[in-house]
Amino acid sequence: MEQIIQTLILGIALGGVFALMGSGLSLVFGVMRIVNLAHPSLIIAGAYVTYWGFRLWGIDPLVMLPVAAVVLAGIGVLLYKLVFEREARSAKYSEMTVLLTFATAMIVEGALGFMFTNTQRVTSPGYATDAIFIGNVFIPMGQLYAGIVSLVIIGALAAFLKYSRFGNAIRATTQNRDAAELLGVNVNLVGIMSFAIGIGLAGAAGALVSFVFSFFPAKHWEWVAVLMSLVVLGGMGSILGTVLASFLLSIIAAFVGVWFGSTWSTMTFFLALFLILLVRPQGLFGEKPELA
Amino acid sequence: MRTEQLRGATALTAVMAILAMPVWAQDGPIKIGASLPLTGNFSVSGTKHQQGYELCIRQINERGGVLGRQLELIVSDNRSDPATAINQYERFINVDGVEAVYGTFSSRLSFPVASILAKNGFVHPLPAGGALRIYTQGHKNIFYFQPNAAEYVGASLADVLENLVPADGAPKTAAIISADDFFANGVWAGLLGEKVMDPADGSEVADLAPGYLAERGIEVVFSERWPEEGFNDWLNLANQVKQADADLIIGLTASAEEAVQLTRAFKTVQATAEMVYLSQGTQTEFLEGTSESSNGILVHTSWHKDAPFESVLGGEPYSNADFVATYEAAYGVVPDEDAAIPFAVCQGIEQAMIGAGTTDNPAMGDWLHARTKEDPVRTILGRFNWDDIGLPADKPFLMTQWNDGELQFVYPTDEFEGVSPMSYPKGSF
Repeated sequence: MEQIIQTLILGIALGGVFALMGSGLSLVFGVMRIVNLAHPSLIIAGAYVTYWGFRLWGIDPLVMLPVAAVVLAGIGVLLYKLVFEREARSAKYSEMTVLLTFATAMIVEGALGFMFTNTQRVTSPGYATDAIFIGNVFIPMGQLYAGIVSLVIIGALAAFLKYSRFGNAIRATTQNRDAAELLGVNVNLVGIMSFAIGIGLAGAAGALVSFVFSFFPAKHWEWVAVLMSLVVLGGMGSILGTVLASFLLSIIAAFVGVWFGSTWSTMTFFLALFLILLVRPQGLFGEKPELA
Repeated sequence: MRTEQLRGATALTAVMAILAMPVWAQDGPIKIGASLPLTGNFSVSGTKHQQGYELCIRQINERGGVLGRQLELIVSDNRSDPATAINQYERFINVDGVEAVYGTFSSRLSFPVASILAKNGFVHPLPAGGALRIYTQGHKNIFYFQPNAAEYVGASLADVLENLVPADGAPKTAAIISADDFFANGVWAGLLGEKVMDPADGSEVADLAPGYLAERGIEVVFSERWPEEGFNDWLNLANQVKQADADLIIGLTASAEEAVQLTRAFKTVQATAEMVYLSQGTQTEFLEGTSESSNGILVHTSWHKDAPFESVLGGEPYSNADFVATYEAAYGVVPDEDAAIPFAVCQGIEQAMIGAGTTDNPAMGDWLHARTKEDPVRTILGRFNWDDIGLPADKPFLMTQWNDGELQFVYPTDEFEGVSPMSYPKGSF
């Protein structure tokens, strides 16, 4: 029983971090139909912003989080204007963005390697490797903080989308871009802002990643498939779905790791991706794809 | 008649031009190709390999080059991908016209590259590629610039257990966890006494039974592998190791990054052990990521900054201390073995060119094969001579231990001065 509780805690802890990592990806797809393969590389960029704040001035990663989010949001605006805006009305937009974001990921990786070298980094605030013990069961403080901050940010995002005027515009654009434009929504501005928020979330996730995992520029390739599996299971574009999928898959992976071995723990995410696409392509909360 | 004379003169000129071509080519720099993982999973080590190669080439050129010619290094990024590495070596040889090559990083990349270089008759100096299977393919052109194959790395740990640990307090149980990686699997096979099979035809390469741990009377109470890429569940794995309550924890990490993740996870779950050994973690990044948790952790290495190795570079004496000072001046940090090993590869090829008096690869290969214990290749990693399959003869790994933020070498104790006493037991992280 103790082991089950412990495994559950570790699964939840990992899920909290993945939830924020996947939310920005989901938002960007939901609003803009961009399958952003560069999202994990931008998470790494956020981790570097945090790392240097910590390294140079000793600023706690959690304090650096808003800085990383704002810096990355700014980069998001630039990226959108330079790369994605021009083709936004193309019939093949989603397909094209796969290639564009793949190229962007490689450019971001190259730029990070050039600026910061390929040396691995990690921030080490005191809580990163601490744990609270209740008997033999422990709760890792780093993951706990990351999970709580993650959920607070996602909650704030959900509230913003639901209750603010601009949030309503984003949701309307997510549901039907043309109808939203007919109703007077500035869909271009919504696009830019949504992309900026999505990439800002990558920056925030990067701040959390900086003390939960070690990272280096090429690390993002390891996360692409994991994040995609979360977003696909949740339903492309559904933030709530992504959050639930993050916890669900992380918990399953933790139990698989204990019962069947660590190799299968990682496979859980990839198997889930295949199964979902075969059985329920729209995921838990996504829209059913229309037949052509 | 005049036309025939003209034709004859033209033909003669053409023949002379063709005959003169090698002379022209040899007036230029000696091109050397190296395909390295500058991006992708092995980028941390790959980048340092590039620095090691470049620093060595620069210093050789400053000393007047080799055989009266300057060296020119051509580096390509193989993105940690074996197929790309193969293509790049083919290109070096068939398009760029290199006269020699330096090896790449990791067993995973070196294994397929070995066949290409053997096919083309090029000397293959390996900075990293310890899996025994690389050397049992029958290639005669391979020369490994680390002390031994991965399968025999465990011998150093066994020696430490035998010679440095008090008999009444020696570990009796072990938990062994490993990356599912070419190199780490080799170390695993040696420690657990498994058979090494040739992946091509399924034949037996070596039977390592009973294994170094069994020889020391150590019972393995937990063993587990994690996947080569994409593994994130370090806390879960560390907790399983903790539950096994073993005296000796062996973490066969494939990179310094994994060593950092694993050590931090051990600290979080508050694991304890009498002794902890990792197969990677000599790098400064390991210390930065683990700080005081690193205390007491043993890591084998091929090189240490304080080892008083004397070598040759550009025909002049060149000490290990010279390398450390030059590297620090060039890159602003203290080097680690990922930079030192490729530097030694470059020294070895330089000495082969000078020794053979040519850049002809078969001649260089013959000269390297002819090295003996008394007349070895001298590098900042110490002396090298090789057996028939290309593994160094009678060369032990150095066993190092992190103590108070410093990587000290603790074994072997009789090689040279400066050996620190090993701290034991380790206790908590």
